Amino acid sequence: MAKTPSLDTAKYRRFYEQMVHIREFEEECLRAFQRGGHGIGGYLHLYSGEEAIAVGIIGALDLPSGDCFIGHYRDHAYALAAGSDPGPVMAEICGKYTGCSKGKGGSMHICDAERGFYGGYGIVGGNVPIALGLGYAIKYRQTPNVAVCFFGDGSMNQGAFHETLNMAQLYKVPVLFVLENNGYAMGTSIERSHANTDLTERVASYNMNRKRIDGQNIITVHEEVAQIVADMKKNPAPFFLECDTYRFHGHGAADEAKQTVVYRTRAEIEAAKANRDPIAIAAELLLDAKIITEDDIQAIHDEGVRIAKEAMTFSDDSPVPPADELLKDVYA
Amino acid sequence: MAKLRYIDALALALREEMRRDESVFLVGEEVGQYQGTLELSKGFLEEFGKLRVIDTPISEIGIIGLGIGAAMAGLRPVCEMMRMDFSLVTYDQIANHAAKIRYMFGGQFQVPMVIRGPSGVGLQLSAQHSQALEAIFTHIPGLKVAVPATPADAKGMLLASIRDNNPVMFLESLRMYFVKPDELEAIQPGLSEVPEDPDFTVPLGKANVLREGKNITLIGYSWMTIQALKAANQLAKDGISAEVIDLRSLLPLDMNTVLASVKKTHRAVVVQEQWPLYGCAAEISAQISERAFYDLDAPVMRVTGAFVPMPYAKNLENLAFPTELDIVAAAKRALGGK
Repeated sequence: MAKTPSLDTAKYRRFYEQMVHIREFEEECLRAFQRGGHGIGGYLHLYSGEEAIAVGIIGALDLPSGDCFIGHYRDHAYALAAGSDPGPVMAEICGKYTGCSKGKGGSMHICDAERGFYGGYGIVGGNVPIALGLGYAIKYRQTPNVAVCFFGDGSMNQGAFHETLNMAQLYKVPVLFVLENNGYAMGTSIERSHANTDLTERVASYNMNRKRIDGQNIITVHEEVAQIVADMKKNPAPFFLECDTYRFHGHGAADEAKQTVVYRTRAEIEAAKANRDPIAIAAELLLDAKIITEDDIQAIHDEGVRIAKEAMTFSDDSPVPPADELLKDVYA
Repeated sequence: MAKLRYIDALALALREEMRRDESVFLVGEEVGQYQGTLELSKGFLEEFGKLRVIDTPISEIGIIGLGIGAAMAGLRPVCEMMRMDFSLVTYDQIANHAAKIRYMFGGQFQVPMVIRGPSGVGLQLSAQHSQALEAIFTHIPGLKVAVPATPADAKGMLLASIRDNNPVMFLESLRMYFVKPDELEAIQPGLSEVPEDPDFTVPLGKANVLREGKNITLIGYSWMTIQALKAANQLAKDGISAEVIDLRSLLPLDMNTVLASVKKTHRAVVVQEQWPLYGCAAEISAQISERAFYDLDAPVMRVTGAFVPMPYAKNLENLAFPTELDIVAAAKRALGGK
């Protein structure tokens, strides 16, 4: 299906731009984290290597009509893929008052209510039951919408995940459960944490529609999900989609050096970067399909760098939250 | 005014609000086809249908998660815990998610939900079904904690909680559920009376002076308010005039009503079912000491449950939670007796 002639040129060009812009945005974050002085503290979890999933899936949603999604702590890409302004996203990561969560959430708690992004969450698996409620609200109001829940392979070993999948199937709520299987829950591999390493098969016991796809190929991801979402809107029911992927950076920016010492090899990472980079794969596919040109590739990259720097400048120029914000927003 | 049992007042509030507001729904174990474990939701499934009266598997994490997501999306879920003890299974959803979502997203979302169920000690339900867990929730910013004692407050506060835009832990007194109106009237006239207005609400964060007195202030909530009223009756026989304050909610906490009373009586006893260490009575006692120290004529007394898992045997259980006699004794100690 990869080279279907009917690809929407403008859409895939936008997807490619988004993937590159997300990559450059996060590389800017990492440099700022390592350099210091921009306000980034605590954790910084980067999505590098997994961009085709967020872009291809969120790109299949009709957000203005009420489709929505919820993420986990590796969440910058979701906002950017939904079209959130990069400035407030960067400002949030840097703890600024202009951040999307007023600087109170940080990197792990990006959100955009206006675009149906119900936020990133820091407890592994904790967002999954909430997706059940987002889906239930759609069922309750009987609108033709879906809710998407992004989570990683680590979430599948939480009880919350299994309670949710059982109930989602029981009530036929329109939630697309997207497993971003990057092979590692922090530093613990699938093999060391799942008694059955076929994670899609683990879901079979819930009688849920399910599929495993290549999460590195933007065309595969998007075309599959567009079809799944269309089906879900016609016949509301949950769907489990495993996207096979890989993360290029450490679990968090802080374990960038440690990862190759304790849980995976430099050779494994380099091989994935060489063979499974979703941006390189997209470039090849879209060049073939004549959707982009070699000149575009450089221009899009440069534009990504420019947008990331502009976002950082916006953040740098922004104030930190005033002290009187401390006690605000606890209660409505 | 109708004279109602506590459980009937709760059911009335929930039914009337579900009739009034289509965004309100009930979700929990055995709430529908079974008619509610204690028949609180009798007839609800038939009246409102299964979209709004959701029978769930025994999956407390799923129940609260469903509530949070639906609340964020603009509905008003009422999540039932068959017993509040089971909320510990889903404590992460309550304390890490429901409570924090508004703040950590800078106010972009709110979580208007009620998590309710029977709570408290007694009835020989033993260690895992007989405990007062309110301090576990009052410690978490972002939650509200309601602890109604009377049928009127059960109705008015449940309505206020459903209409509140925050997550409310609504801890019902199982000991009060089936107490007959006559028994309540015998303790204090009017105690079982419930206003019939379907819009009757009792705001969270406003304590109630249930009985006025001059010599000492007895501060309680939930089942212990009723015990404090009984103790006040006993003390009156000895010529001691006790004021009884029902806190009604612990978060928000109405200290102004407490402090005004203590400034008048100069003595206070705080009563709770829960374990003594780090409990709600400790907090209230500390605030009285900090804010009304020079008005006090005696140390603030606490009357609490024993620091043990609840035993089953009736004789041991009776020793493990406070009674009116314990409150009378504490009051007399505060008044200078032995």
